[in-house]
Amino acid sequence: MTHLLKATGIKKSFQNGEEETLVLKGIDVTLDNGELTALVGQSGSGKSTLLSIVGLLLRPTSGELEIAGERVDQLSERKRALFRNERLGFVFQFHHLLPDFTALENVAFPAAAPAGGISREMRERAEELLGRVGLKDRINFPATRLSGGQKQRVAIARALMNKPDLIIADEPTGNLDRESAETVLELMREVNQEDGATFLICTHDPEIARQCKRRLTLEDGLLKADEVMEGTEK
Amino acid sequence: MFAFKVARRYLLSNPSQTLLLIAGVALGVTVFIFITALIAGLEVRLTEQVTGDSAHVSIEAPTRVARVLEAEVPVESVALVSTLQRKQIRDWPMVVDLLRNTDGVSAISPQISGSAFLVKGEAVSPLSVLGVEPDGVDAISQITSKIVDGTGQLRADGLLIGAKMAEEFGLQAGQAVLLRTERGVERQLTISGIFRTGLQSLDERVAFMSLQTARPLFALPEGVTNIEVKLSQPEDARDMAKFLGEATALRVTPWQEKNESLEDALKAQGQTGTMIQVFSLISIIIGIASALVLSAYRRRSEVGIMRAFGISGSFIIWVFLLQGLLIGLVGALVGCGAGYGLCVYLEGITKADGTSALPIAPEQGGYVAALVLTTLGAVIASIIPARNAAKVDPLEAIQQ
Repeated sequence: MTHLLKATGIKKSFQNGEEETLVLKGIDVTLDNGELTALVGQSGSGKSTLLSIVGLLLRPTSGELEIAGERVDQLSERKRALFRNERLGFVFQFHHLLPDFTALENVAFPAAAPAGGISREMRERAEELLGRVGLKDRINFPATRLSGGQKQRVAIARALMNKPDLIIADEPTGNLDRESAETVLELMREVNQEDGATFLICTHDPEIARQCKRRLTLEDGLLKADEVMEGTEK
Repeated sequence: MFAFKVARRYLLSNPSQTLLLIAGVALGVTVFIFITALIAGLEVRLTEQVTGDSAHVSIEAPTRVARVLEAEVPVESVALVSTLQRKQIRDWPMVVDLLRNTDGVSAISPQISGSAFLVKGEAVSPLSVLGVEPDGVDAISQITSKIVDGTGQLRADGLLIGAKMAEEFGLQAGQAVLLRTERGVERQLTISGIFRTGLQSLDERVAFMSLQTARPLFALPEGVTNIEVKLSQPEDARDMAKFLGEATALRVTPWQEKNESLEDALKAQGQTGTMIQVFSLISIIIGIASALVLSAYRRRSEVGIMRAFGISGSFIIWVFLLQGLLIGLVGALVGCGAGYGLCVYLEGITKADGTSALPIAPEQGGYVAALVLTTLGAVIASIIPARNAAKVDPLEAIQQ
């Protein structure tokens, strides 16, 4: 069976002056299509580093990484950017919306910038996604006039714009109140179930981890546990 | 173009800063245009002052030099040039015909010029005599309109003299004077008219007579000593002199060679103007570059996010280059308008005699150069901020 993501022997070290710190000490992990996976671990365990490597924002020191059957750890910067744009979606702890643009423009941006403008199809898709995250009535609102929860929902819609193979979420509810956090989590579960979108969610929140189908636990740069959660199917 | 939309949105998101930037560029362009128009105006006025009452091109017979005799003469001998025989242009009617058929020539005055003494009683004074065609008195200098006594008509025995000389001798139109030329010929002439041009050199030491009157006085029965030419474009004098020199084999001198100090002054003035223009442009470039460097720094986080979801570095570069282009273009257009308005206003301020107080030429403000150079400069100014922005590490931006 072909995995959506296959990481083999991923190591990452950082040079700090003359001292070299090994953050990831050899991670082997696979993700399949349609999985909703939580990546947990204490601060300093290496989960953010692993997420950055899987998101092609950071190169591993050694090891191999395949996404959708393509070896991606050795791609040029330009090809990595193109891959991120076309095949990956990102949701960050801080929504990171572009403040000078409307909700719709923010959602359409990843598709519009390479294409040179927002086409009718892009507009329709962005509207559909905003409707899906419950913001149909906020389509033309400037990003700055949205609440924290609404901004994060726009960020999820933006991550889905280019129909990515894998959505990488880094503490997506970390900056939200409980109610907004639940809404965002429910949204991700819904997209996962209905569209079969694959999520890798890095989180400190045990509630989020509990609701994911699978939980990967990192400790001191190593994968300590890979668990399928009770009541869910891998 | 989506990058253009993003650039415009960024500029509009901070209108006060954008307006200040545009105002700064416009101010620099206004200075550029003012200086260009002022220097052009100064050049025109100074040139007019120098060339207004004098010829733009002077044609004379070539200087004669002693030559070695050849052929049957057994020893090397040198033929002496006669100093008694005047240099002259014998076939001057042909030269005048050539000039009449040459584009750019506006007036032609064949002349016999020489030195003489004006004698009245015991008083003797040297003067330059110009023998001109009767209808050619005004060809080079406006004389007849400046007659203050008598008439500008040149009769057979008539003489036009300047007001200062007339005052010196206590002469009036109609009175007779004795003229003794450099050839030792004397003749009694009548003062036909007295002119006052305002130019001391003319009013004090120059007299006009007809060509026919001058011929016996200067022993030139056929030829002329020189042909003075005015051009519709005085600045073309050098080219015209070169052309005429080759066409006639005569000595042709453009006005610039007779006024080298003016030309040096105009050159120095032009160089000063160029320096001011260059500094205006540099200040515009520095202003735009520093503002965009700050803007790129302020937007590091946004740019990093764009890079994270795979937006290319070239797109980011375009966003910042287009911001520079927009600021430069709008600033240059506003500056061109303001510069033109300022020049027209200053041109309208006149002195008591009705002439413009400031010699400014609003139509020669170098508007196209200002527009092109400023826009280009603005784009160049945005290259460094654009490249900096495109190099933002997405991971660093996300972690901020």
